[in-house]
Amino acid sequence: MDVRGAPPDAEVVALVLGGDTEAFGIVIRRYEAGLLRFATRMLGSRDAAADAVAESFVRAYRHLASCREPARLRTWLYRIVTNRCKSHLVRRSVADVPLDDAPPVADPADTEADLERADQLLLVERALADLSPDKREAFVLKHVEGLSYEEMAAVTGERIPTLKMRVHRAREALLKVLEDHA
Amino acid sequence: MNTIDPRIHQALDGELASQAVPAELRRTVAQLAAAADLLAALPPGPAASLESRVMAAIRRPAPSPARRVIRWLVTPRAIVLRVRPAWSVAFAAAVAALTLFTAGDEGPELAEHEGIAQFVGRFPEAQSVHAVGTFNDWRPGSIALKDQDHDGVWRATVVLPAGTYEYMFVVDGERWVPDHLAERLVADDFGRENSIVIVRPARR
Amino acid sequence: MTRWVVLAWAAFLAVPLAAQSVRGRLEGRIPSAAIPAVDSLIQFASQEGLPTEPLIQKALEGGAKHATGPRIVAAVQVSLGQLRDARDVLVRAGDQPPVLPAEMTTVAWALRRGLPAPVVERVVAALARPPRAAAMHAVADLVAHRFDPDSAAGLIIEAVRDGVPRERLLDVSAAVLQQVQRGHTRAEALASVRRELPNLPAPSKPTRGNVAGARRPAPPTPP
Repeated sequence: MDVRGAPPDAEVVALVLGGDTEAFGIVIRRYEAGLLRFATRMLGSRDAAADAVAESFVRAYRHLASCREPARLRTWLYRIVTNRCKSHLVRRSVADVPLDDAPPVADPADTEADLERADQLLLVERALADLSPDKREAFVLKHVEGLSYEEMAAVTGERIPTLKMRVHRAREALLKVLEDHA
Repeated sequence: MNTIDPRIHQALDGELASQAVPAELRRTVAQLAAAADLLAALPPGPAASLESRVMAAIRRPAPSPARRVIRWLVTPRAIVLRVRPAWSVAFAAAVAALTLFTAGDEGPELAEHEGIAQFVGRFPEAQSVHAVGTFNDWRPGSIALKDQDHDGVWRATVVLPAGTYEYMFVVDGERWVPDHLAERLVADDFGRENSIVIVRPARR
Repeated sequence: MTRWVVLAWAAFLAVPLAAQSVRGRLEGRIPSAAIPAVDSLIQFASQEGLPTEPLIQKALEGGAKHATGPRIVAAVQVSLGQLRDARDVLVRAGDQPPVLPAEMTTVAWALRRGLPAPVVERVVAALARPPRAAAMHAVADLVAHRFDPDSAAGLIIEAVRDGVPRERLLDVSAAVLQQVQRGHTRAEALASVRRELPNLPAPSKPTRGNVAGARRPAPPTPP
């Protein structure tokens, strides 16, 4: 749903804190796609990601008053979701991170390019799943969610040099997988 | 681990303009950028927005005590549930910070400056649960919760000097979890949240 | 003369002995490489008249949570900054230096729990004498439930002025939250409790069974 015409985050937060519960729907519509994508890449499962993100939104609503910089709501939401994903991941070893379902059955209508893309995606997803949670999180925040290192530092609480190192190592691991299967 | 040319990292970090990337490195930059693009597409799955689910949870009034107990028993997740008796939401906050009874009741002899803190959490699959915080110098082990009737609900009632404390639960010696029942949460500067308990002094 | 010599030695030894006890608490608990930096920060705090125990606790917390040395140092630095901010708030609100350490700790908590500094100053100014911990946490409890900070502070200040003992101020916020739980709006809840002041519902008491089982924490085992 289009939220481009809706008020900016700081205003929406003020509305919700003033008692307009329904205004929180703007926050959900504005950020759920990115948060869902991030959580899916972290947890390897769309369903687990939906649970984690839904829980995160509910938590964000209940603790909205503690968001000190409503203009940076996005960063705050990512922080809640990363913590929730961490909780989910600690409960199971990294090796158990499921990749959603078996690879899709090929549709005769799929072009060769579609199939190759699907194969490539599977490869990249497996490489991501093999990374430690810290490196996976850093790579996804940087390259999939497009956060700056400053924003990543605010989300994770880590220092920028640490985050850069994790992103660099993640890239190296990914490249190795891509080259091994070229 | 494969160490790649630092200029590739610089290009992907936006610190080096693409025109400045040497030709022999551009393929690698493109490969990694393409991998990121693949991941940027939302994986297939249920198309329904989370909005209705989240808004329903936000709008939902607190359930009756009976419904809460039933939900408590059937919910499989190993996290703490909010227990809020309908007659007192304040009890949820006060559960972890209780004023004391009159003299003559059973229980430990409390000094004037001491009070009682009660810790409760639901961890059905746990082998051990400890309360760790500023009341015990963040040492796991000194406040062990117990699940005496094996219903997955762990409890401890502890005598502490009156004051304000930050803490978390440590489940199975390794999983750090805030006490959601406590309702007072504060960022810990380590990427998590601590719960706060306020222990009120005994009254005589 | 002898007494002054003894006192001088005591003063001479006191600082290194105090430092020894800080290091003693940190050793084996946080990465050793971080101890000098953390110790320095704690010494700065001490020299500035800021409470040091919150900083020691922050370092111990980081060690227990397996944070890296640099991250622990950063967290202690953040805590030090929060205590400085707290002291500034108290002084602006009218507390005369030297500000009480317990009050700095209380205000640091209030700020961390999301109370805006002007609201904290208002509560400090209204409650001219410490302790203010119960008042701050009562206001913060309401703010955590999305009450407007100024309205929340207004109610708690009014409760104090109406004679509610400070140790019962948490019961004031609890009573307000109870009204919301019953379906009233926040404005109605505040008004309803305000009307009843200084009367309040009786505080919750633990059950006999719970209290009978209360134990003191086990002492720490030596490393």
